[in-house]
Amino acid sequence: MSGSDDATDGDAERVADGGTTDETDAPAVASLDRGDLTPEGQVALEGLLFRLADDEFVHAERLTEWQIYAPTIESDLALANVAQDEFGHARLWYDLLQELGYSEEECIWRRPADDWTHATLVERPFADDGWGDVVVRTYLYDVAERIRLEALVDTSYAPLADRVGKALAEEEYHREHALSWLERLASDDEARGRLQAALDDLFPHALSLWYPGDHEAGIRTAGFRRESLASMREEWLDTVVPTLEGYGLVVPEPDEVTRPEARGRDGSHTDAWVDLREAFTATHREVDFDRPARLRGEEA
Amino acid sequence: MDIEAVKDRAGPRQFGPNDDMPEEYRRAATRMIQFHANSEVMGGYLDKEFTRHAPSLDRKLANTAKVQDEIGHAQLLYRAAETLGVKTRDEMLAELQTGEGTFLNCFHYPVDSWYEAPMIDFFVDGGAMRRQATLKSTSWTPYAHAMDKVCFEEGFHVKHGESILRELMRGSKATQERTQETFEEWWPRILQFFGPTNDESTHNDFAQEVGLKTTSNDELRNSFLNMYIPKAEKYGLEIPEYPRVFERDDGTMAVREDDLDWEEFWTIAKNDFEGSHEQIGSRARRQEAVAWVRESLDSWERGAPGTPQAAD
Repeated sequence: MSGSDDATDGDAERVADGGTTDETDAPAVASLDRGDLTPEGQVALEGLLFRLADDEFVHAERLTEWQIYAPTIESDLALANVAQDEFGHARLWYDLLQELGYSEEECIWRRPADDWTHATLVERPFADDGWGDVVVRTYLYDVAERIRLEALVDTSYAPLADRVGKALAEEEYHREHALSWLERLASDDEARGRLQAALDDLFPHALSLWYPGDHEAGIRTAGFRRESLASMREEWLDTVVPTLEGYGLVVPEPDEVTRPEARGRDGSHTDAWVDLREAFTATHREVDFDRPARLRGEEA
Repeated sequence: MDIEAVKDRAGPRQFGPNDDMPEEYRRAATRMIQFHANSEVMGGYLDKEFTRHAPSLDRKLANTAKVQDEIGHAQLLYRAAETLGVKTRDEMLAELQTGEGTFLNCFHYPVDSWYEAPMIDFFVDGGAMRRQATLKSTSWTPYAHAMDKVCFEEGFHVKHGESILRELMRGSKATQERTQETFEEWWPRILQFFGPTNDESTHNDFAQEVGLKTTSNDELRNSFLNMYIPKAEKYGLEIPEYPRVFERDDGTMAVREDDLDWEEFWTIAKNDFEGSHEQIGSRARRQEAVAWVRESLDSWERGAPGTPQAAD
């Protein structure tokens, strides 16, 4: 994927807000099917779907690291639920990509590391004692997830519109889960200190949720998403900043944080991603099956 | 109730929390259920590895669901054990962490490859199914109730394990060979899963007399062999020459126990095997790393400054 290293947040807003001057030209809600896509439209749609799918997949892959290791049996079960929902969402979006002609191998197993466009937030490794990281990360992510799914409710692409509702319904439980943990941990001095450390560490990476990719203008023109990344980012900040401050946490000033070199959305990632991808694709590379097993209608 | 009365009445789902059970029964039942619950937790340490290795998205989802089920089973079983009034869940979890708590032999062997997934998810879980199905008729009713749910879910796990095995054995020659090698490594451990024949086991007689256990080790292993040897062969696995398996006069299969390494088994039973140290150490390390979370939950529940008392 071509790097857009020269992109800045300013560019993000220009592309996102200025990309479509007249939205009345965009196709109506759920008016497009696969056969209606222009070649440029399809490329933009794929860009949008990969962002969604990659975020969910990598987030879930990291969260499953806590299975069996969570602090209590109940927290283990609850976090496992969240991780499975996110894998399920990843599957919704990768399925749409497969309808557009990709195979599961191309989407996941054989995809080069620098083709993945997830935000760097979800690829960061966890320390063994990093439950505070889990809580902060899931909270920042789940609020973003709600905003982004809501922005897709009136998408022009009918197969996407069909699937957004299911994902949105589950995200509400995820946010409640994250909020109840924030509340409990923030009431304890030591635990709040750990939340603060996690927030300082993750917030710059969370901002990468809102970086544009290569296809932002096309996504808006075709009405795949109606809202700009800049306004979604603003809504996200308006939600997470007061909430976190309400729990006694200090949120870094978004415009002043040191931006990580890796942008995520343009295919550049932190080293942790290379290691993670290496680990989860190892078996696939070794066994070399004809195609990844599908178990729909069976036990999956 | 005295022990003789318990033995007289012993039968499926005969006793529950409202019965005045003798200490000896309560201790034996606690030991058995705690062992079972511990095994669900420690089995998870193996199975969680497979989630990372799973070579398809559907398999990954099935695997993480399985690990979640195991923790759910542990939760149910610790609760069933608590109904005996001998130990609390926290005490049992603390014992698991310090190395006092015991668990199934197969979960003392760390795993690191996908080829091991069907060894655990098909053969070990299949063996567990044999045993658990008979425990639906245990005399301690809360334990039997837990088994109803556990057996239902285990059925899916074994099916998924079988599907993994089938896929591996339809893979390239190299994949089939790796699977066969892994099977040969695991096969003796799986045969030992059921423990030694009845007369060598310490707790068996009493557990059977009071109806906690309804089937002997020997019967369970033979029923496993009768069911799983044909399945292994169906997928193209070769049963190793040793330990020798033979057909008895009644047509059922049995294993020559002398061919198995019982010294290793008893070392494992004392949590003193190399792999025991590794797995229990991993448990202790990971639980200590998040002790701060449990402490802060405790202080939150007691009512941290600014929050109302939970009990009020």
